[in-house]
Amino acid sequence: MKRRNLGSYFLSLGLSILLALGVGAAIMAVTGYHPWEAYRALFQGATGCGELGDLPSLLTQRQFGNTVEYAMVLFLTGLACALGARAGIFNVGGEGQLYLGAIVSAYIGVVLAGLSPWVVIPAAALGAMAVGAFYAWIPGVLKVKCKVNEVITTIMLNSVAIFFCAYLSNGPWKTANPNRVSGTDPLEAVYRFPQLIRGSNLTSAIFASAVIALLVWYVMSRTTTGFEMKLTGHNPRFARFLGLNVDNIVIAAMSVSGAICGLVGMFQVYGVKGHYQDGISNEYYFDGLLVAMIMGYRPVGIIVMSFFFAFLKVGAAGMELNAGVPGELYRIIQSVVIFFLAAEGGVKALLARKKTKKEAANHG
Amino acid sequence: MEAIVEFSHITMDFPGVRANDDVSLSIRRGEIFALVGENGAGKSTLMNILYGIHTPTAGSVTIHGKPVVRFDPKAAIAAGVGMVHQHFMLVPSFTVTENIVLSREPRKGIFCDRREARRQVEALSREYGLEVEPDSRVRDLSVGQQQRVEILKTLYRGAEILILDEPTAVLTPQETNELFTVLRRVVRERGMTVILITHKLYEVAAVSQRVGVMRRGRLVGVADTASVSQRQLAGMMVGREMQPTAPRQPLRLGEEKVHIQNLCVANSRGLPAVRDLSLTLRAGEILGIAAVEGNGQSELLEAIAGMRPFQGEIQVNGRSIRGLSPGQVRSLGLAHVPEDRLRTGVDPEASVAENLVAGRHRAPRFARFGVHLRKKAIREYAEGLYRAFDIRGAGADTEAGSLSGGNMQKTVIAREMSAGAEVLLIAQPTRGVDIGAVEFIHSQILAQRDGGAAILLSSADLDEILTLSDRIITLYEGRVTGEYTGEFSKTELGLGMTGGGKEATHEA
Repeated sequence: MKRRNLGSYFLSLGLSILLALGVGAAIMAVTGYHPWEAYRALFQGATGCGELGDLPSLLTQRQFGNTVEYAMVLFLTGLACALGARAGIFNVGGEGQLYLGAIVSAYIGVVLAGLSPWVVIPAAALGAMAVGAFYAWIPGVLKVKCKVNEVITTIMLNSVAIFFCAYLSNGPWKTANPNRVSGTDPLEAVYRFPQLIRGSNLTSAIFASAVIALLVWYVMSRTTTGFEMKLTGHNPRFARFLGLNVDNIVIAAMSVSGAICGLVGMFQVYGVKGHYQDGISNEYYFDGLLVAMIMGYRPVGIIVMSFFFAFLKVGAAGMELNAGVPGELYRIIQSVVIFFLAAEGGVKALLARKKTKKEAANHG
Repeated sequence: MEAIVEFSHITMDFPGVRANDDVSLSIRRGEIFALVGENGAGKSTLMNILYGIHTPTAGSVTIHGKPVVRFDPKAAIAAGVGMVHQHFMLVPSFTVTENIVLSREPRKGIFCDRREARRQVEALSREYGLEVEPDSRVRDLSVGQQQRVEILKTLYRGAEILILDEPTAVLTPQETNELFTVLRRVVRERGMTVILITHKLYEVAAVSQRVGVMRRGRLVGVADTASVSQRQLAGMMVGREMQPTAPRQPLRLGEEKVHIQNLCVANSRGLPAVRDLSLTLRAGEILGIAAVEGNGQSELLEAIAGMRPFQGEIQVNGRSIRGLSPGQVRSLGLAHVPEDRLRTGVDPEASVAENLVAGRHRAPRFARFGVHLRKKAIREYAEGLYRAFDIRGAGADTEAGSLSGGNMQKTVIAREMSAGAEVLLIAQPTRGVDIGAVEFIHSQILAQRDGGAAILLSSADLDEILTLSDRIITLYEGRVTGEYTGEFSKTELGLGMTGGGKEATHEA
């Protein structure tokens, strides 16, 4: 419906990225690094390919696998955030939902040990989604029924969840292995998701993630449910006026958002780590939330941008190693991209406000 | 008596509207002058000119015999003009004292002398009999108390001419009486001059010495309050020329569609807005509600639409709507054009097409299995409506927020009128809409009536009510003050709208 806007949108996005890379290059040049070398190292760090000629071997490169895996985490959490935001509720509690999903799925894998993976893995996934959904449902209901600001409750609930998980993994659910300081028992090898690229974090979870992404995109942009979410998020008074059950829509969107976050936690356990441990998520949800916000909660944009940010973040480690450029540079580039995109939004909003003011004056 | 303010030949043009048209008026020192007129008659505009908010297109203003050269609130305040707006301009988290002295704090060096400020506020409040608690926060005060703070603020700034824009609209009767006592006192004891904008004729009689009536930007008369009856005032306010009803098919009344018995509805502040109201609405008729804004018509329509809790009984199509959600009321066969289109009637961020199907988007023709949106069918349907209702914009795919006010209104009308509803609630159908679109919207409303819909119409534009309605009721302070069909004079209607109806019957 907004194809015309989309072209100009991607244009401004591309420009922002180029400008940001330019700013990064300028900073490197000023501080005495060689920008071209650094960006080559970044590229190599993210893909594992030193030269463009190596690209055919991409699919066997460990670094590339890690980039794709991190992009997966970003777009899942980003889409989770977008689901809530579309319906007008801002889920900042994905981190906590992710932790709970991780520890519950790890626990299920431990207590059901010995059963067929066809039982354990679905059970773990359902458990992770259920606990994530429940943990998001709480602030959802509080917002709808008691008008409690969800941003505050979700942020506070994050700490509650993270420390509760720390308690479990250092206390009742702690592994019996004396060589480990904390964390749950490791999962049986048969439960682990197979690695798609040897030595990398990329596992078969990517297929499930692709399906989820497709589903979220479909629901948000092609279904009556997505349409109702959009109306609710834009103008709840109007949605109510039309006869929509605004409260239920908000709570449902929030719960599904939480379920996805819980599932990301399970993917970390069953894909990357093999057990639950403290710090299983390194503020992954906040990175995803950032991507979602930058892209204005548009599903396709979130997926595209996730790959770019994953590329930057994973590549930055390689850059640090091979070109000696501090990895923090990726934060700078990321910030500049955000800055330009935000500035664009600000300019647009300013123009829109001027227009409505003019109209108001005309009708005053 | 000497004139303290002199308006001469004031004309004020806004884009597309002449808000004031050659107004000449002098206000005398030490009087309470009431300025009355319908919504949009130009009263507030004239007073905003005096307060320096607007610069008149033509004409001049003299205050204390000195012509105003620069229209600017600061200059007006310096000249002794103070204005209390309908919407208070206070900082809720500040105390009463802080609000009053704000921007003119007594100083001790570079610091605000709080003790001195408090002392001055207390002295002022005692002097004028305006009781306030200097240290309480404004957000904790009742509306009546907040108004007192507003008045004190103008007095603190040395106002001699006090403009009050519909001060009683937000007050309880008790608070209104207290306000009037204060006004009489400041005029008698302090020699102040008060200009009171109001819709309520009994207030004119209760407090003012002289009264001016405005209609459509013109000052149609000034008189000593004692020498005019409420009936005369009402007549001047609404004018004599009767709007002819628009041509239509003969009335074919069908069955009863809406039945309301002893309805009471509270407004957003919890005060009674609709009081013990009963009415019936039948298929094939347009029932017009003639009322000055804020007399319960908004709350009445919202209650019928299921958007506001109520006491009493409302039946739509024979079913009680108690406890039903707006969606459930709609499914009884009701459609609603809300008075505030931007806040309630559209999603400005969604496309025009989406706005046109919203609410019916789950119907099989727009969604496969009620789930998968048929974008093509939606677009085709929306484009049909877009053309049929002559919506003018950059196409059905553009954001509804990019439409002009009139076209946004047509979008709302198109959606609600194509719903096939048997009961239509229509509020302010043509507010902010250009002349061409007005006629079109009117013809659509009449077509719905001829098609057998039961229509409840509310509008701040009395002529619109007169043009479209088969039957009219006047509402005043939430009560039905009269019902009019067939032959009646506009003056009677005006009396009903301004609460003068009772006196009128005594006179007759």
